Amino acid sequence: MAAIIEIQNVTKEFKTLNRHEGLKGSLKDLFSRDYKIVRAVDNVSMSIEQGEIVGYLGPNGAGKSTTIKMMTGVLEPTSGEILVGGNAPYKNRSKNAQEIGVVFGQRTQLWWALPLIESFRLLKDIYQIPDKDYNEMLELYKSLVDIEPLLHKPVRQMSLGQRTLSDILAAFLHNPKIVFLDEPTIGLDVSMKAKIRTLIHELNRQKNTTVILTTHDMGDVDALCRRIVIIDKGKMLYDNDIEHLKGFFGSYRTLKIRVDGDMNAEAEVIKTEVPDFKVSSDDEWISILVDEDKSKVLDVLGLLQKSHKIRDMQLEEISTEDVIKKIYEEGVQ
Amino acid sequence: MKRKNLSFYFRIYCKILAQDLKSKMSYRADFIISTIGMICTNISGFISFWIMFRNFPSIDGWNYYEILFLYGFSLISLTPVQCFFDNNWSLRQNVYTGDFIKYCFRPINLFFYYQSEVFDVKGLGQLAFGIGTLVYAWIKLGLGFSVLMLLKLIIFLLTASLIMIALQNAAAATCFWIQNSFYVLDLAYRFRDYAKYPVTIFSKAFRFIFTFVMPIAFIAYYPSLVILRPDQIPILSWLSPVIGVLFFWISYKIWMYGATRYSGTGS
Amino acid sequence: MNLKKYLTFTRAGIIEALQFRLSFVVMVAGNLLYLIVVYFLWKAIYASSGTDIVNGMTFTDTLIYLVLATALFNFMEMYTVWEMGRNIQSGKIVLDLLKPMEYRNLLFWSYSGGFVTQFLLTFLPTFIAVSIVTHGAIHLGINILYFIISVVMAIVINYNIDFLVGTVCLYTESIWGINIMKQVVVLLLSGATVPIAFFPDTLKTVVYWLPFQSIYNAPLSILLDAEAEPKAVFTTLGIQLVWCIVMTVLSKAFWKTSLRQITVNGG
Repeated sequence: MAAIIEIQNVTKEFKTLNRHEGLKGSLKDLFSRDYKIVRAVDNVSMSIEQGEIVGYLGPNGAGKSTTIKMMTGVLEPTSGEILVGGNAPYKNRSKNAQEIGVVFGQRTQLWWALPLIESFRLLKDIYQIPDKDYNEMLELYKSLVDIEPLLHKPVRQMSLGQRTLSDILAAFLHNPKIVFLDEPTIGLDVSMKAKIRTLIHELNRQKNTTVILTTHDMGDVDALCRRIVIIDKGKMLYDNDIEHLKGFFGSYRTLKIRVDGDMNAEAEVIKTEVPDFKVSSDDEWISILVDEDKSKVLDVLGLLQKSHKIRDMQLEEISTEDVIKKIYEEGVQ
Repeated sequence: MKRKNLSFYFRIYCKILAQDLKSKMSYRADFIISTIGMICTNISGFISFWIMFRNFPSIDGWNYYEILFLYGFSLISLTPVQCFFDNNWSLRQNVYTGDFIKYCFRPINLFFYYQSEVFDVKGLGQLAFGIGTLVYAWIKLGLGFSVLMLLKLIIFLLTASLIMIALQNAAAATCFWIQNSFYVLDLAYRFRDYAKYPVTIFSKAFRFIFTFVMPIAFIAYYPSLVILRPDQIPILSWLSPVIGVLFFWISYKIWMYGATRYSGTGS
Repeated sequence: MNLKKYLTFTRAGIIEALQFRLSFVVMVAGNLLYLIVVYFLWKAIYASSGTDIVNGMTFTDTLIYLVLATALFNFMEMYTVWEMGRNIQSGKIVLDLLKPMEYRNLLFWSYSGGFVTQFLLTFLPTFIAVSIVTHGAIHLGINILYFIISVVMAIVINYNIDFLVGTVCLYTESIWGINIMKQVVVLLLSGATVPIAFFPDTLKTVVYWLPFQSIYNAPLSILLDAEAEPKAVFTTLGIQLVWCIVMTVLSKAFWKTSLRQITVNGG
């Protein structure tokens, strides 16, 4: 099956003025011609299939928004090629817009003063959605979320959660091939987050819509994405399944034990017993970072039990959040 | 996908307008205060005008009623920019905060979509005031009346209004390049006050500037000559519809060029 | 009072203003163009009047008066009403109220950097330009000192009027309407658009008893009238001082009671 989004060696550069600090610096900037080139996106390639949900992650300022702006046709890449549904989005912004839906975090794209249903009607005209499709979509929405109370409420009177929900519904209304969601759950409470995740998941499933999701909330990633792409300082760090990610640094688990006797002395002994693993200790716990590819946690535990009296134990998994944090901090070796 | 022609845009605009008016009605207090504000502006403009003419009975061979005619003409031709293109004033803010990006994702003309968002009802008060002034001056000048004259008046009013729209579009579009472009827009806005004086008071160099570079002379002076001085109409007066359309087209291109060049600050 | 605390705001304001470098060019050029328009307009007006002196003002006097009034306006306009209105609507005001400084002071000093840059970039160049163009028609003596004192008081009066009107935004959402009404009334009745000397007598008397003429007419007449008797100058300054006090007290009181009402009602 052909990819819906095809990105090849895309780079985007910006020219910015070098700013100086303080009053004197500001005066200097007034006449300065000291520009520098910033590479926001650096030689990124990826290919996304119809119906995928891809988590697009990276720390602030990593180049996520720039990539999305290029995919939506707002920005033109400095070099490289982007094809969305077979077209170059920048050259055909209007045509591309027909095929995509966009939700930008806290910026609503709905008409501020209008009730939601009127916004929907306007969108129906703008996207020239046939009556049948429009009604079907509304029925689908009604089956997924309780939108009746929202329909007749002006957007400006909605809570942030209601507004985000409305924005997502509006983005899917014309049944686009791709929907871009930029931090859709930012600032929302736990139950609203769950509601929105379910909604996105269902719409993706029923309409086979491709979803590109950028977020800082690993809950979103765990709930929705099978595949994630990580970018930092413009460069692509990772592009693979989320399962694979957890085993990315080996499949590590941390075994914590508490033993009789002096903990630090015992720890020194343990270090010689399991020389393959990192052992550390504090007053409460001795931690052993077990690489499950080498030996199972239970085996390690059995080994230690022979020579130590274990009073208590804990087992810690590495969370997605930890892995991502590790990638942000250390990069990929 | 169906082709999006003029009637498509017209239909969409009417729908947005209808919705917009409906929601405005729910803010009655705001509507009333704004309207009073607009009336105040016009009254104060008129008072300044009247005070000046108390002291000076004519300007450069133009008498009180003739200038009043220009004044009324300029008020009417400035109405469309007030009513339909008022969102230009928010453009700077939208670009600065990055909110402008939200207009870029729709499959319709960006300029149209942006401007359609705001319809300013207050402009209608100005229109009424302008018509009143024009009719009063018309009667006092004893210009007579024929259908042809009315037709001319309407055509020239419409095309004259394009000039101010063009000026405002171009001025607003500067925010795509300059960060704090409020001054440019404010300047263009202030200059429209001078549209009501005959361009002949200026020296040659500035007459040229106000005719071809910053064409405020086409907002009232040149088109009014067609009615006011029918025996000595300069060629520029007849050209004013063409110039109106031309300037509008140029300003539209500048605006769109700026918008596509726009990269979106923040996030 | 710890002045340093306030001057930090001034410094920050200057730095912020300097970020927008291109807008300076636009501002200075735009101002120049505007002055030229005023020059030609009034030259034509005086040329058609047949006399050199109208209402005790020569062409040069009128020109200096109007040009400096515009420069003063650019310099003094702080867009306080807009700022307050926006802060109130967005709820940002709550954060500002929590700061260890009275809101009116906070707002004033946040803008004070703008004063410095505006003074250096618009008022001073305009002043020098006018001085040169009119061949030193502005008398440079003790009147400059009086003028400066007078301008400082004008700023205080203007700010207090703005603050008073801005407070109204606690009650209504119509910022545009409120602001435009204020602006129109202040500009007309303060003599910023047409010198008060040109007003008909009854209107002159009314204006004399209002605070607005203390904003533009007072400093400008002190500056222009080189041979004024000290007594007349001090009367003008005295009236200004009275208005300073009255407006400060009024705006403070109105703000306090409004705020209490709002907090009680939980607005």
